[in-house]
Amino acid sequence: MSLAPSELEQSDVREGLEPQAPWVTIVWNDPVNLMSYVAHVFRSYFGYSSQKAELLMLDVHHKGRAVVSTGGREQMERDTEAMHEYGLWATFQKDV
Amino acid sequence: MNRTFRCVDGGVRVELRPNERALLVHLLSEVCELLDDGRGGESDTGDPFEQLVGILPPVDVDADAKQAPEALQDPALARLLPTGNRQDAQAAAEFRRLTEHGLRVRKRSSLDRAGQALNRRPPVVLADDEARSLLTGLTDIRLVLAERLGVRTEEDTERLSEALRSLDDPSDPRLALAALFETLAWWQELLVTALDSPE
Repeated sequence: MSLAPSELEQSDVREGLEPQAPWVTIVWNDPVNLMSYVAHVFRSYFGYSSQKAELLMLDVHHKGRAVVSTGGREQMERDTEAMHEYGLWATFQKDV
Repeated sequence: MNRTFRCVDGGVRVELRPNERALLVHLLSEVCELLDDGRGGESDTGDPFEQLVGILPPVDVDADAKQAPEALQDPALARLLPTGNRQDAQAAAEFRRLTEHGLRVRKRSSLDRAGQALNRRPPVVLADDEARSLLTGLTDIRLVLAERLGVRTEEDTERLSEALRSLDDPSDPRLALAALFETLAWWQELLVTALDSPE
């Protein structure tokens, strides 16, 4: 437990749009989805770099969950819905 | 060298055998049926996976129901269309009300796209959107199979692989499904690799 990649790397395409970023989208670990596929989804949908997608995927795998996006509630609901379309289990919630 | 799915000019070439493609087409259409909420005009045929795995003991629906009161009764369907908020039941219910039907429609259309593409005369070359539909479709099939096999944790997956390798009880009806589950995982791995590393 020495790395928190999702907290270290907050830069993404949406930075600056939601300075408060009060909501988050969380992806939960599951025994079915392949690690390669999960990283592929993070790259394809969020446009994250290979490195960032890989770190987030490893967070999901090892910690059981990872915050994959932050922003306004509506955007987080859209992100959650998109993850469901890919077959990942995501939820949205207020950041604490 | 990945020969099963290969990036070529204009898409991804599929080198599965005809019976393997037919199996995939069949499974894609079964998940498509499972996702039909009857609002698309087709008749309600119930759960097609029941016939395939009717011999398996019923899964514990109560555990899921307690966790997510607004979730769907069939755990496989509930995994395809999961709860969107684990903290706020009202927000989860509202999210489901707004998104579930659309998700079903989009998933079904994607499964259908993948199935149609695989049904073409060989050589089968998937366009980019078809390859992505197949990739997600493989996930949807595996999510349903996993629920039917009672795979909820990574230990469950390991137990399944172990049972498959040791073949303790060749008459166990789960073994055929377990073998299918692993084959689909392998194909999905090959496809995601092909999509992620074009020539």
